[in-house]
Amino acid sequence: MLKMTRLEKVYRTHLIETHALRSIDIHVREGEFVAVTGPSGSGKTTFLNIAGLLETLTGGQYMLDGVDASKLDDNARSKLRNEKIGFIFQSFNLIPDLNIFDNIDVPLRYRRMSAAERKGRIDGALARVGLASRMKHYPSELSGGQQQRVAIARALAGSPRLLLADEPTGNLDSLMARGVMELLEEINRQGTTIIMVTHDPELAARAQRNIHIMDGQVTDLDEQPRLRSSTPMPDKNTHVA
Amino acid sequence: MEIGPIFSALRRNKVGALLIALQVALTLAIICNALFIINERLAFIARPTGIDEGNIFVIKNLWVGRGTDAQNTSLLQTDLQTLRDLPGVADVYSTNTVPLTNGGWSDGVNLTADQEHSTTQAANYFVDEHALNTMDIKLVAGRNFKPEEITDRAERDSGLPDSMIVTQEFAQKMFPTESALGKAVYMEGKKPTTIIGIIENLQVPWVGSWVKTWGYTAALIPQRMIRQNSAYVVRAKPGQLQTAMKAAETKLFSINPLRVISSVKPFSEIRAKAYRGDRAMAILLSIVCSALLIITALGIVGLASFWVTQRRKQIGTRRALGATRRNIVNYFQTENLLITLVGIVLGIVLAVGLNLWLVNNFELTRLTWWYLPMGAVMILLLGQAAVLPPARRAASVPPAVATRSA
Repeated sequence: MLKMTRLEKVYRTHLIETHALRSIDIHVREGEFVAVTGPSGSGKTTFLNIAGLLETLTGGQYMLDGVDASKLDDNARSKLRNEKIGFIFQSFNLIPDLNIFDNIDVPLRYRRMSAAERKGRIDGALARVGLASRMKHYPSELSGGQQQRVAIARALAGSPRLLLADEPTGNLDSLMARGVMELLEEINRQGTTIIMVTHDPELAARAQRNIHIMDGQVTDLDEQPRLRSSTPMPDKNTHVA
Repeated sequence: MEIGPIFSALRRNKVGALLIALQVALTLAIICNALFIINERLAFIARPTGIDEGNIFVIKNLWVGRGTDAQNTSLLQTDLQTLRDLPGVADVYSTNTVPLTNGGWSDGVNLTADQEHSTTQAANYFVDEHALNTMDIKLVAGRNFKPEEITDRAERDSGLPDSMIVTQEFAQKMFPTESALGKAVYMEGKKPTTIIGIIENLQVPWVGSWVKTWGYTAALIPQRMIRQNSAYVVRAKPGQLQTAMKAAETKLFSINPLRVISSVKPFSEIRAKAYRGDRAMAILLSIVCSALLIITALGIVGLASFWVTQRRKQIGTRRALGATRRNIVNYFQTENLLITLVGIVLGIVLAVGLNLWLVNNFELTRLTWWYLPMGAVMILLLGQAAVLPPARRAASVPPAVATRSA
């Protein structure tokens, strides 16, 4: 699903060079639920941005679902992102001036789908996260947990192959966080690959596999994926450079 | 197109959008009316006088000392012959006035001697048989004056001679259903004057709105004005205007220095002076229009720039969710289009209202309908052009902004 080979990311200013990622090799197979952990400034978000095609890489190779993402231009990256990747952000990133229906509709409109198909997908995604009755509400009228569920619905509506979650429970209380986590596990059980960046060791422990990043390098990982109930067992497939 | 979501988002951010829509509406209302007034003024300024303006100049002459009528007649004849003999001169006549000088004589024109209210007002040009050739005016019916028909008219004289030449507008007004040629009209007193010729076109001396209904209703009277002062209308041969002007002044002084030549003006100067006020108004209104358009464009740029800054995270999120740079530019352009369209609808109502007020209070004519769509298109294009730089800035927001916590 995702294969990074000797991937590097360097931020350059006229004064300094910052190596955010140093020659990392990561391979995530389809259907896996992987947690990426590490302290602040370790390179987790840079990894997520590159995995999600939000940033370009400086060196190495990144293959996403068989496509060499390192060679794509901005438009092609946008298209690939829209079709294959779903994002769940820490602060939900819902558009406050749009109701829930229109928020979920945002990525679908960029695919030029018919209105009927978009509506079907939005209805399905909202039913999946248990918010079908709230589609005319605005984000400010929902709780944090509900907003994150809407963000998950927005990601699911596009039927992505890969779901990237950036601290998905970081702004939620423990009860809401548990609900969101259970939802992610359910989505993963249905076959969607999930990569989740988190600080929380408890949440990381619920993933099948952990990748620990420190100073831009993968320093630690579970060689043996943990077995979860009704979770398909992936192969071992993460490598340290 | 995201018209639905953009419109509903705008409804939740009414104030800024409404202010811009109102600015657009006011600009459209003022621009439509101002452009209409400017074009009316320009058309008014551009009206032809009917004479060969490019080659004509006018000499204003004043004799020193008060001579008898006979002496003045002799001096006048000598001057006219001298000018005609100049190599660069095509022809000359003396007159009381010329078009656009805002000074001259006019009379009511009647069909009968005892008519109570005149059929029309007409300007009187006192001329000789050289006038048509000098002005290069086309005779469309009848004939020119014969030399023997030209009489002298001293200051104390009144009454008109037996014949005259009139403009087509004069003829049409007096005899709308039949030819005016050979018909008699009454202008000064109870003596009829017969129309012996009809010329194509000749503007009256005045340019004010009070002559709006009779701007080309003029009569050529076959009389030479015998006075201490006189005006010579001279047509130079093509390309010799400046040479002829200099030569004329020098020659006139050489044959008789006891005179004051107060001016030797090409007709272009007379035209420029006549319409100075109208031209100034057109320029002023153009400046106002330009300023309004600039202010509106700046308003659009300002609001769009503010929204780009305010929505940076939202733009990054849209990019992360798959929006291309083009999608982001389109979003801002569509948003601007919707705001501008609301402004245009309001602006059209305002423009019509403003025009009605101007019509009622300042005797302006009704706005021609196509100024409204023309103004609307102009404002739409302005809006799209103004929003483009901030929209491009928005499109350059990187998608990675979506994952930044601030």
